[in-house]
Amino acid sequence: MTPTATETAAETATGTATGTAAAPHTSAIIATDRLSFTYAAGTRPALDDINLQVAAGDFVGIIGPSGAGKSTLAAALSGVIPHYWKGSFYGAVRVDGRDSCEQSLTDISRTVATVFQDIEAQMVAAIVEDEVLFGLENFGVPKADIPGRVTDALDLVGIADLRRRTISSLSGGQRQKVALAAALALRPRVLLLDEPTSELDPASSVQIFETLQRLNREQGITVIVIEQKIMLLCAYARTLGVMDGGRLVHHGPVRTVLEHIEDLETRGVNAPRVTTFTHALRRAVGAGLPLTVTVDETESALRRAFSGAANDTTHNTQGERDVYAPL
Amino acid sequence: MSMLRFDRVGYSYGDGIAVHDLSFHIAAGEFTALVGSNGAGKTTVTKLMNGLLKPQSGTVYLDGVATASARTSRMARAAGGGVGMLFQNPDHQISKNTVLDEIAFSLSFGSMSRAEQRERAAAIADEFGFRADAEPFALSRGERQLLALASVLVAEPAVLILDEPTCGLDWRECMLVMDKVRARNQAGTTVVMVCHDMEVVGDFCRRMLVMDEGRLLADGTPDELFRRADLFGQAHIAPPQMVQLALRFADGDDALSRAMAPTADIQTALNAVLPLLSARTVQSGTCGPVVQGGVT
Repeated sequence: MTPTATETAAETATGTATGTAAAPHTSAIIATDRLSFTYAAGTRPALDDINLQVAAGDFVGIIGPSGAGKSTLAAALSGVIPHYWKGSFYGAVRVDGRDSCEQSLTDISRTVATVFQDIEAQMVAAIVEDEVLFGLENFGVPKADIPGRVTDALDLVGIADLRRRTISSLSGGQRQKVALAAALALRPRVLLLDEPTSELDPASSVQIFETLQRLNREQGITVIVIEQKIMLLCAYARTLGVMDGGRLVHHGPVRTVLEHIEDLETRGVNAPRVTTFTHALRRAVGAGLPLTVTVDETESALRRAFSGAANDTTHNTQGERDVYAPL
Repeated sequence: MSMLRFDRVGYSYGDGIAVHDLSFHIAAGEFTALVGSNGAGKTTVTKLMNGLLKPQSGTVYLDGVATASARTSRMARAAGGGVGMLFQNPDHQISKNTVLDEIAFSLSFGSMSRAEQRERAAAIADEFGFRADAEPFALSRGERQLLALASVLVAEPAVLILDEPTCGLDWRECMLVMDKVRARNQAGTTVVMVCHDMEVVGDFCRRMLVMDEGRLLADGTPDELFRRADLFGQAHIAPPQMVQLALRFADGDDALSRAMAPTADIQTALNAVLPLLSARTVQSGTCGPVVQGGVT
């Protein structure tokens, strides 16, 4: 099965969730070609015929039910599959145009920095500063440059005050930020994160996504984030991929994917509440209301509908701001 | 009589005060959410509730018994079932090699016969859709969370404490967990749930305790507290989307603003808005008759 919506990068620049971002570049920095993978001990493919194009500069959200293959996809995009986790690998993953099978894991890591779901397994140092500089030393960054890059990475994530702290004394949320800082210190072109906010409160979750958005917009870093918090994904990502049963069943601009709201729900993926609300309104009163994905958009849509502009379907998201943040 | 009562409770881990002068009580049968930012003291409160931590000042009462001086065996019998606790990470409480052994484990400490332990465990495994001989660590993260919950519920606790029970779950698993919890609450179990997801709080809880820096900021129903933007800013949490939406219309005097009552419930909002919207669209000729549909 092919994705129901496989817009090109140029198309992804329209109808985005956050609206004000610049259009991503059109070249794919990561691409999979009929990627399938079955774990050595597995009986069915964890990834099944995945065709995914990630444009350089895009902000991609990946969502799906448990066991859909999201973390396996992250492992394949980061080179962990096939270099570390073994199994039956079919098709290809191209990172910056080169087949991941023909690059070393280290080389792939220079392009793609990854924060995995189990950050405890990723941590190697006892002190925050040491954790952040570990990758820099391994990449052969000149010694004189390391302190500055550590400082920059800690500042970016907002944890400069934790620099000398022992990792064992940190909360789960603080550890997630340390892992993100360690990845950012490598100055990757692609940042790949697997459920980076799972242990964070709403304010800290928003802070992480704000940081990702800033990195994406200001430094052009391509962001791929696997996340169960659909409202955050819809507020910050430009494109959304939905996985189910090892397949990429939807991929495209956030709003386009959410048009498949009923199919998503059958797959165990809920839409933002305001999307469900406007979807139900549209179903009841017919065309004339846009499908909204944020509170801001929904407020605007309702006000337009009640001011007699219900026929205006050219919904403009430019400049609108999501409100999934503490008031 | 209160099922749980905190009377000027304080607790410190040494490097900072986790809970400060905390007083509240929870009646039997309530479904209470404990919310606040990371580090607010929520998990400490749950550990004080079940006696894992003893208060350093003040008193915690469970079914009228002060936890600081009660024996573990007395705590286990409190209110006829004691306290069951679901930790945030199920892997911190799963210890057996099969689903059946894992669920039966909590029953093995009492006087129940082994046959009855296995029978009750098998019944719960069946209710949750588990194969009895499945290996716990071969299950998905969400399934392990459900297994941990089943292992707690099998003991039929009088008080059920849940620390982020939906963390890391997909939506369907989240609803499955919460439906199980709601069913127990409707059968009389007192539920206290730490939760960051205000959509879940709005859907399932009837009371909210909002904490910040070890103190109780507010105590009320979700509907009351979701209207208080000042509170959410202070506690670093966000109200449900539908409440946020309704609050945008709170100061208006038009028909739409008057209809948009702050509620997390989509169907309630639809019922309020649809008649107004359909009247407008029919007037302007943009659509046919309204078909009132439920929310899927």
